[in-house]
Amino acid sequence: MSTKHTKAAERFLSDKQQETWHNETLWFVREKRDRMAFSLPEWEDLREMANKIKMHTITHLDKYLDQFSEKAEANGVIVHWAKDAAEHNQIVLDILHGLNAKKMVKSKSMLTEECHLNDFLISHGIDVIESDLGERILQLKGEMPSHIVLPAIHLKRQQVGELFEDKLHTEKGNSDPTYLTRAARQHLRNEFLTADVGMTGCNFGVAETGDVVVCTNEGNADMGTSMPKVHIVSMGLEKIVPTVQSLGVFTRLLARSATGQPSTTYTSHFRKPVDGGQMHYIIVDNGRSDILGNKEHIQTLKCIRCGACMNTCPVYRRSGGFSYTYFIPGPIGINLGMLRHPKEYSDNVSACSLCYSCNNVCPVKIDLADQIYRWRQNLDSYGKADPLKKTMSAGLKFLFERPGLYNFALKFAPLVNHMPHFMVYNGLNEWGKGRELPRFAKESFTSMWKSGKVKPKK
Amino acid sequence: MKVGLFIPCYVNAVFPEVGVASYKLLDHLGVEVDYPMDQTCCGQSMANGGFEDKAVPLAKKFDQLFEKYDYVVAPSASCVAFVKENYPRLLKKEDHLCQTSGKIYDICEFLHDVLKVDRLPGKFPHKVSVHNSCHGVRELHLSSASELNIPKYSKVKDLLSLVEGVEVLEPQKVDECCGFGGMFSVEESAISSCMGEDKVKNHIATGAEYITGADSSCLMHMEGVVDRQKLPIKFIHVVEILAAGL
Amino acid sequence: MSNKKDILYSLQRNISERYDMPDIDLLEGIVYPDPLEKFIEVSKAVGGDALVLKPEEDINEFIKTHYPEAKTIASNLREIEVATFNPDEVEDPHSLNGTDLAIVQGEIGVAENGCVWIPQNVKHKGIYFIAEYLVIVLDKTKVVNNMHEAYRQINFGEKGFGVFISGPSKTADIEQALVVGAHGAKGVTVILK
Repeated sequence: MSTKHTKAAERFLSDKQQETWHNETLWFVREKRDRMAFSLPEWEDLREMANKIKMHTITHLDKYLDQFSEKAEANGVIVHWAKDAAEHNQIVLDILHGLNAKKMVKSKSMLTEECHLNDFLISHGIDVIESDLGERILQLKGEMPSHIVLPAIHLKRQQVGELFEDKLHTEKGNSDPTYLTRAARQHLRNEFLTADVGMTGCNFGVAETGDVVVCTNEGNADMGTSMPKVHIVSMGLEKIVPTVQSLGVFTRLLARSATGQPSTTYTSHFRKPVDGGQMHYIIVDNGRSDILGNKEHIQTLKCIRCGACMNTCPVYRRSGGFSYTYFIPGPIGINLGMLRHPKEYSDNVSACSLCYSCNNVCPVKIDLADQIYRWRQNLDSYGKADPLKKTMSAGLKFLFERPGLYNFALKFAPLVNHMPHFMVYNGLNEWGKGRELPRFAKESFTSMWKSGKVKPKK
Repeated sequence: MKVGLFIPCYVNAVFPEVGVASYKLLDHLGVEVDYPMDQTCCGQSMANGGFEDKAVPLAKKFDQLFEKYDYVVAPSASCVAFVKENYPRLLKKEDHLCQTSGKIYDICEFLHDVLKVDRLPGKFPHKVSVHNSCHGVRELHLSSASELNIPKYSKVKDLLSLVEGVEVLEPQKVDECCGFGGMFSVEESAISSCMGEDKVKNHIATGAEYITGADSSCLMHMEGVVDRQKLPIKFIHVVEILAAGL
Repeated sequence: MSNKKDILYSLQRNISERYDMPDIDLLEGIVYPDPLEKFIEVSKAVGGDALVLKPEEDINEFIKTHYPEAKTIASNLREIEVATFNPDEVEDPHSLNGTDLAIVQGEIGVAENGCVWIPQNVKHKGIYFIAEYLVIVLDKTKVVNNMHEAYRQINFGEKGFGVFISGPSKTADIEQALVVGAHGAKGVTVILK
């Protein structure tokens, strides 16, 4: 009775010190988020407003994308449309080839991870440089992000120190975060200055103006689009907001939910190419329009990728991002993975105790836990239901449908208390690995009621 | 007012004293209580495990058994939440209009919101740490969820304050999940146990003698951890405290 | 390659129910008794600094005192006499590398988060990010309570770029240890006049 998540989680938990650090560090981010949420009396109204704006926008995407792309083109932006990851990657490569570009710096983008853009470009001889510090660390280490906002949260400073020693020739044994960050600043400054093209993701696209808004703390998206003359924006088509005024609702929620900051350091609004330069938007579907037609999971399209659901998730905090098989972990990742490919990513559906905390922190009120519950109901039809859970459920149904049998079982249940320890706590008993089994009462409530023992003290 | 008492399966088998306390408390408060004999289980554990269809016949049976009462009351927030949130949809599959989802209450909710209890006779001179269970907090709204910027309240703490002598405490991470989650506890047993251990530590750190709460399933899970590790804390369902001396 | 028509069609095909747009004006953003004071408080909390220049204080003296080590100082503001060059006269943005301090004009301050709106008002936007330290000059009467108010007022200018800056560049990507000065300015001071 285990999924890939279960097994990976066990491995993560075997390093108790690391697990505790991971758990407590992310909980600290959750607490920072709480302080921000509680500093605004209108917080819950803001979430509800964000929810409504998103529901409106995603169900009018045809109209808003039309408006957005027309505005952008009028502003001198070249707009491209990609139905899937392959088209997206090809468009990027074609732009680079057209410019004879060899080096591209990019800021963090979950969409480019989704499309496996870097591998594709590198295989075509392009030098792709991730410029977010966490993403750069992972790129140098050859790893994937384990969190969508805090990509290198699984690494310790010593590991980063050793990596930089090897790759950036920093001092041996120096793992001071300030020292390492300065080393990265110097290294990446050079990359910004020598890049031919800058790429960013997109936090928000504003339909009425054609603007793209990118939020960072490091300023890497800005550095990457200030030195090269060409800026490519890779955006999922659900990133649209209707107006500048509605943008305010989301910029107020994003950083507060993500890291517990009142704002990201930089909230950059791009409207036109730089003088003598080019700006390209690549608008990507890659399965999103299908989600729009899926009533049970349409709300995932509201996601603004803040990562708050990961920080609050008691399972994510204790199992780490790599315990999930989809590249986006945590509650939103469980759902997005299933939407991507239910048979391939069904192992993550077990990673939820249905505590519903994710629903409450989500700034756009996605019904994350309810969706996980729904996926569980469908696992059997994908042939992915756990056979033991299935047998248990069938057995329970058989028992509970028969009150006589149920009462009979209640009567004899206490016998289990007297079974030899080895019979109860064997390898098949997952419960018994960390906990004692509950002891059945000598007499059940039903039996007490029947025999008139349930009475008020007169 | 006629109340149908629903005693969920694991309370029936493992914690019958919680059922007895529920009955005594309701009776003391002048409520006519009936216990329909053919009740079994609400079906939550199968549904949360991914076998909702197996819960449908149980839901129908439950609804037929309890529809005649003015209220259905149970000492288990999680089971009540399941009936309330899911039965109407499940029964629709059988073309059966759900009667019970609108009138089922967790017993704390019932005492607080319907009976509006403002005095209780008992004494319980002990320190207790309140376990705010996920479904109690985030589905039944027994207390304000820690994530939401809404006025702070706790129906469970309000009720406990009516009992003489009880000192009410709450753990750090006040409503973090204990890791039970039904079949989650066996499917993800390592994470589940870890969550249970962390939760119990936070309860113990309050200095309480007892962990109490509205959900026996969470208490059962944490008790399993405490028994295994021989930790110094006891468990008591909140109804047993409220019914002290009855 | 796909085209706009295909993708918009695919969206139309999948939309079954259309939801209404809510009235954003119904949302009441937070209002502070003293937005200027709050702006200064939050600017400090996010790792930056903000202060009101007294009438008798000279901005150039202030900059000299506070940034004694700055050698290359960029500004296109007429009142900034300590500037060693005007960034608008620089042809290639790459040449801005090595700027110790940039002094730029901000348009709107936001009390709730310490943001300052800067519509691109220099030749190369890079100067906002590449300078080691940044000073933003802001009219103290231009501080609003929240982002809703700010977005009602912002203008974009001809350059087609604008940025809200809240404090210095920062990262916590190594063990969540906060380090100021990731890629952009290591320090930001907002001078309110």
